[in-house]
Amino acid sequence: MTDFGQALGPAQARRRTDPRHVLTRYGFFVLLAVVFVTFALLRPAFASEANLNEMMRSAAIAGLMFLGLTWIIAAGEIDVSFMSVAALANMIVAVLVRDGAGWGTASLAGLGAGLLFGALNALLVGVMRLPALVITIATGALAASIAAALGLGTSISLSQTGFVGRILAANLGVVPLVALVVLAIYALAWWAQERLTFGHYIYALEQNRAAVVEAGVPVNRILVLLYLLSGSLSALAGILLAAALSSGQPYLGNSYFLDGLTAVLLGGMALKLGKPNVIGTLAGIFLLIGLLNGAALLGWTDSQRQIVRGSLLLVGVSLVVLSRRRNRT
Amino acid sequence: MTRSTILWRGLAFVALLAIIALVFQSQSAAYLSSGNLRALARHMSVQGLAALGLTFVIVVRQYDLSFPGVASLGAMTLGWLIASGAPLSLAIAGGIGVGAAIGLVNGIAVARFRLPDIVTTIATGGVAIGLSYFYSNGTSISENFFMSGILDINDRRVLGLDQPFAILAGVALVAFVLLHATRFGHAFYATGENRVSARFSGVPVERYVLVAFALSGAGACLAITLLVASSGAANVTAGNQLLMPAFAAVYLGAALFGRPSVGATLAGTLLMSAMLNGFTLLAIPYYYSDAIVSTVLILAIAGFDPRITAVLGQPFRRTSEARP
Repeated sequence: MTDFGQALGPAQARRRTDPRHVLTRYGFFVLLAVVFVTFALLRPAFASEANLNEMMRSAAIAGLMFLGLTWIIAAGEIDVSFMSVAALANMIVAVLVRDGAGWGTASLAGLGAGLLFGALNALLVGVMRLPALVITIATGALAASIAAALGLGTSISLSQTGFVGRILAANLGVVPLVALVVLAIYALAWWAQERLTFGHYIYALEQNRAAVVEAGVPVNRILVLLYLLSGSLSALAGILLAAALSSGQPYLGNSYFLDGLTAVLLGGMALKLGKPNVIGTLAGIFLLIGLLNGAALLGWTDSQRQIVRGSLLLVGVSLVVLSRRRNRT
Repeated sequence: MTRSTILWRGLAFVALLAIIALVFQSQSAAYLSSGNLRALARHMSVQGLAALGLTFVIVVRQYDLSFPGVASLGAMTLGWLIASGAPLSLAIAGGIGVGAAIGLVNGIAVARFRLPDIVTTIATGGVAIGLSYFYSNGTSISENFFMSGILDINDRRVLGLDQPFAILAGVALVAFVLLHATRFGHAFYATGENRVSARFSGVPVERYVLVAFALSGAGACLAITLLVASSGAANVTAGNQLLMPAFAAVYLGAALFGRPSVGATLAGTLLMSAMLNGFTLLAIPYYYSDAIVSTVLILAIAGFDPRITAVLGQPFRRTSEARP
């Protein structure tokens, strides 16, 4: 990636209490609240228990898929294969369940495929240092074509959703159980990102990889870990989607591609002033899901929502670059 | 690069092409028939024009992921203009103009405002796809196509060649002269190799990056014009099949010939089209051929000369080097 990395100097620390910075840091959450309140006022159905429950469930699945991506982009690399890996895991589960395998076996196979593609990306990008974009375009296309081949180009519908379906349907009050689990995972990820050296290395990698290598940090190992994480978590999301949609959808990746990048980059504005971080990603996911869900209730067409997605991504990138540049001076 | 290495690389290319031809000829006797070779040339024309545009962007060491979406928008603009009765030349100019315009937007965002190329072009491509739905709510457009004469673009013959291939040859010639026989070409390569030193040598690097993106958008829309002419309808999904083959062609060519260039891209496109045409001839479903194309791309990047991969990997290390 180009100019994403600009070291935050000591001046940054001094300015932490500057009101303008507080605004950029937490303004994103205010925006999030404004969007939700506006839609709730415009369309009461938006704030209904069923709709909120459904939004949290989609957010949880998207959250799993975008967690690895967040750190990969934070480390200055890119992964555009995550959504195709999710589609592949989704189709593997669907094919195995259709042919009579249990959900446990099928889920393990799907997870295995995610690990395999994560390992492939890790080997090519992390170890062999090949250009991440072109490699993940290719591995993503490979995963997508295997997914399509498994269903001979069409989707596979499932008659029962097994224990995965039961986990997915479980609620604690309004909140789906799976949302709580994903929230716990994100809390753990926040701790790893902020408190462990692992997290510091991720951001250091993005700022100056040569310096990190010189400092003796096992850069390859970190990148390998990140791609493995992205592959397996994306696969997990794909497995959950098989139960959520009670079918295998070979092309489900398409809708997650723009959303993933938008959530990560736009979310980077929250808390860390332009650096992708896990809490920001979660907020970004909620903003997107809120906007798209509300827009659907207002009767917007798919193409209008597609334009909203693309524009949001552009706005997100511009904000990131702008805020980085201002912090540099 | 010395003369003998070029010879060796050329031989490797011919050997690869011969292997592909042999494999498919053994599976289907029609592969090397003149009818199929003409179909191959048509396929190569579409893919080649998109890949040639992308070549400029890769030469200045940026990435453009918007061109499939831009091509879809170009196709729908072209279709809409024809359906509403505009003269053919205006319709084609409109379609290509849209491509160049979005390319310019990409170029300004990346070169002038220093936005990261990958994410920016993904976003503009997404917006372009959304815009392409506005002409007809996403249905394909084919009204007035027969009368307008756009189908003739596909059917006419020029100097004994099918017109699509003649267009590719003409564009490739212009691109070759621009990139390899003028000082502009040197400036493109200099911009890619070391932006800071190029700037200090008096190259207006921003302008070259901008032009590269505009050429990529225009090339994709010219390619899609040929596709629309051959299929007889404009679709919102028209551009979807451009991304992988174009990247594969540019990178395969660059891996074979040592750096991205017009000749390398044409060689890469010929290899890709020879394979994809063979799969179509054998009626192999697209998802198998997609898998093979992506495997070839991975192998091309990983397997060839490690120096090449180092050079092509530069965009990701550029930030640390370019910073003074």
